[in-house]
Amino acid sequence: MGEVGATTQTYILCELAGATYGIPSIMVQHIEMVERITPLPNAPPAVEGVVFSRGQVIPALNLRRRFGFEPIAHNLRTRLVVIRSGARTVGLLVDTAREFVAIPYDAIQPPPQSINQLSGDYLAGIATLGNRLILILRVDDLLITSDGLATAGAAD
Amino acid sequence: MSFFLRNGRNKSDGAIERMREQAYQLTNETQLIIKQTSQLVAGAEAQSRSLDEALSGANQLTSSLQETSTQADSIAVSVEQLGSSTNEMAVSIEQVTANIVSLSVSVAQTAASSEQTAASIQHVASSANEIANSTTQMTVAITEMSASIKTVSVDTEALTGAVNQTAAAIEEMNRSIGSVAANAKGLTGAAEQTASSINEMGASIEEVTAVTENLSGLVEQIGASIEQTAQSIQGVASNTAQITEAATNAATSATQLDRSIHSVAALTKQADEITRRTARDAEEGGATVQRSIQGFGRVRDSMAQSTGVIREMGKRANEIGSIVDTINVIAERTNLLSLNASIEAARAGDAGRGFAVIAEEIRNLADRSARATSDIAAIIKGLQEAVQDAVTASNDGLRVAEEGSRLAEDGAAGLKKILVGIEESTRLVSQIARATDEQMSAGQTVAAAINTTATQAKHVSVATAEQSKVVQTVVQSSLQMRKITQQVAQAMNEQSRAARTIIKSAQNTTLLAGQVHKAAEEQANGMGQIAQAVSSMRQGSVTTARALAEQVTASSQVAQEADRLTYTIAGISKAIGEQARALVDISSAVDNMRRQSDQSAKAMNEQTRAVNEISSATQNAAAQIKLITRANREHTSAATHVLTALGTIRQISDEGIQAAQQIQQAGSRLAGHASALTTINPGRNGTGV
Repeated sequence: MGEVGATTQTYILCELAGATYGIPSIMVQHIEMVERITPLPNAPPAVEGVVFSRGQVIPALNLRRRFGFEPIAHNLRTRLVVIRSGARTVGLLVDTAREFVAIPYDAIQPPPQSINQLSGDYLAGIATLGNRLILILRVDDLLITSDGLATAGAAD
Repeated sequence: MSFFLRNGRNKSDGAIERMREQAYQLTNETQLIIKQTSQLVAGAEAQSRSLDEALSGANQLTSSLQETSTQADSIAVSVEQLGSSTNEMAVSIEQVTANIVSLSVSVAQTAASSEQTAASIQHVASSANEIANSTTQMTVAITEMSASIKTVSVDTEALTGAVNQTAAAIEEMNRSIGSVAANAKGLTGAAEQTASSINEMGASIEEVTAVTENLSGLVEQIGASIEQTAQSIQGVASNTAQITEAATNAATSATQLDRSIHSVAALTKQADEITRRTARDAEEGGATVQRSIQGFGRVRDSMAQSTGVIREMGKRANEIGSIVDTINVIAERTNLLSLNASIEAARAGDAGRGFAVIAEEIRNLADRSARATSDIAAIIKGLQEAVQDAVTASNDGLRVAEEGSRLAEDGAAGLKKILVGIEESTRLVSQIARATDEQMSAGQTVAAAINTTATQAKHVSVATAEQSKVVQTVVQSSLQMRKITQQVAQAMNEQSRAARTIIKSAQNTTLLAGQVHKAAEEQANGMGQIAQAVSSMRQGSVTTARALAEQVTASSQVAQEADRLTYTIAGISKAIGEQARALVDISSAVDNMRRQSDQSAKAMNEQTRAVNEISSATQNAAAQIKLITRANREHTSAATHVLTALGTIRQISDEGIQAAQQIQQAGSRLAGHASALTTINPGRNGTGV
């Protein structure tokens, strides 16, 4: 599926707290602007609420909170990146997402061992694109290890 | 018979000798009196001349004082001195009054002397009675002689021859004796008249003496008053000198004042010019400030307009911003759509590859559009900031302009106040200039008045010096008068002494005349006896009838003698009447003196009253009239008093002169009588053989 060529894979680039993260476009169902988020009672801190998107209710996960950054107010550039992993659909709230790039596999290096313990298993690798460093997210682990999302994701 | 005759003749000779001595003595005394009276008259005339001098000097003094009074009205000196002088004058008037009282006493003494004279007249009357008695006795003797003639008439015929011779001699002698008797009678009468004249003269001399003493006292008082006046005039002179000095100082001060006022006037003129210039400047400043206020108003208006424009611009910029936002939203949405398209194209695999390229281009366009809108937003933001700055600056400018306008208005108000103040200053400076002009004229008037005062004070000083000189002359005249009066008093005393001597010698003369008369009577008696003897002799020689006729003739002759005696007695009575008349004259003179003394007392009372009035008037005027006016009044009053006193003295002196002339006349009469007496005696000697 997302295989354009044998040597490259396409990614959606997201901006978050000054860094660029790459999410494999094959995992992204669609992207939309944040309009209305309905808060949920007793939800984990990273879960901002739920949104109604293309006929289904999906949880909105604030990736800044999830990654331990300071949250910021939503604006015109704030994007909800809807991820579908297996049966679960989750919306990731990022500062912005406006690029669609193809990154060769050999441009992606595994994350250094020293930071592996710190950031968990969320990083699949670090790619260099020109002068830019792009952190490649491991979205499945991100969704699995997200507390309380199993239930939310299970609703789908 | 011849013895009888000789005896009587010897007695007559002795008496006539003594009488002649007395007559000589009387002549000498009378001449002495005449001389003294001449001296007295000369002295009185000298006194009168000196009085004239004193009067003229006093008149001069009075006119000078009047001149001084008119000049010295503005310069007053020492009313208090006048008051003290008035008091002194009152004291002097009291002294004069006391002297008048003493004059009254002396008048009373004169009255007593008149009484004594009356007593003497009574005595003369008794003497006349005695003469009448002796006449009666003589009549008796004649009767006896008639009887004796009748008894002797027998043997007269025989003696006719001798008798005729003797009768011739006797008749001759008889005629002589008759003439002697007549002379003796005339002498007696003359002696009586002389005595009365002398008494009159004595009384007159006493009167003159009293008047002279009174005059002497008056002259002393006048001398004292004049010396006081002289002292007072010297005081006035010193006061006038002080006034002159003060006036000179005042003139110097007035000159300084005038200079100072002139400098003030010059300064005031400068101040006026400066004030006017300041007023012009202030008006120009006010106009400038008004223009500034108008400029500030225009600045404010244009600032307000600018602010409005800028605000409009800001609004438009905001509108542009919202449009840019819309564009930005569209760009974002375009980006999103292209991303989603890219995702879908990637899912489509190779089939979506072309679509992915288009989505990529769309996304690039959207990104360019977003970047452009972002640039536009940044520009608009800058524009909005600039607009905000412009609005702020405009508001600041507006505020500053309003503040400037307000400050300019404050400045204009301040300038208006300054203008009002300058107008006030101009008005005040004008007033000061006017007042200074008035002061200048007033100062000149003051200087002129002070100069006039100084001139008048100098005039007064000169007049006072003249007064002092005149008063010195008056003092000298007064001293001379005093001396003359003393001499006159002395002469009067001497006259009184001489008059007393004359009275004594006149009394002696009268006594001797009486003795002469008695001797003449005795002679007559002897002659009667002789006649009797002759009658007897003639009786013896002539017939009884003839003898009787002759006796009748002789008797008629005797009767004639008796008639002559009666006539003599009548003459004596007449003399007594004259004496009584003289007494009446003396009484009237005494009354006159009393009246004069009463008038003097009244005049003195009037003077006292006048002095009291002057004193009260002086006290009333004391606060207002200055020292010199008072002193002048004092001088005038004193001079008037001196004039009055001098007039009184003049009157008294005239009276003295009149009395002296009367004395002179009486002395002349006395001298006539004395010379008559002296001429009688040689006649007697010639026929006494």
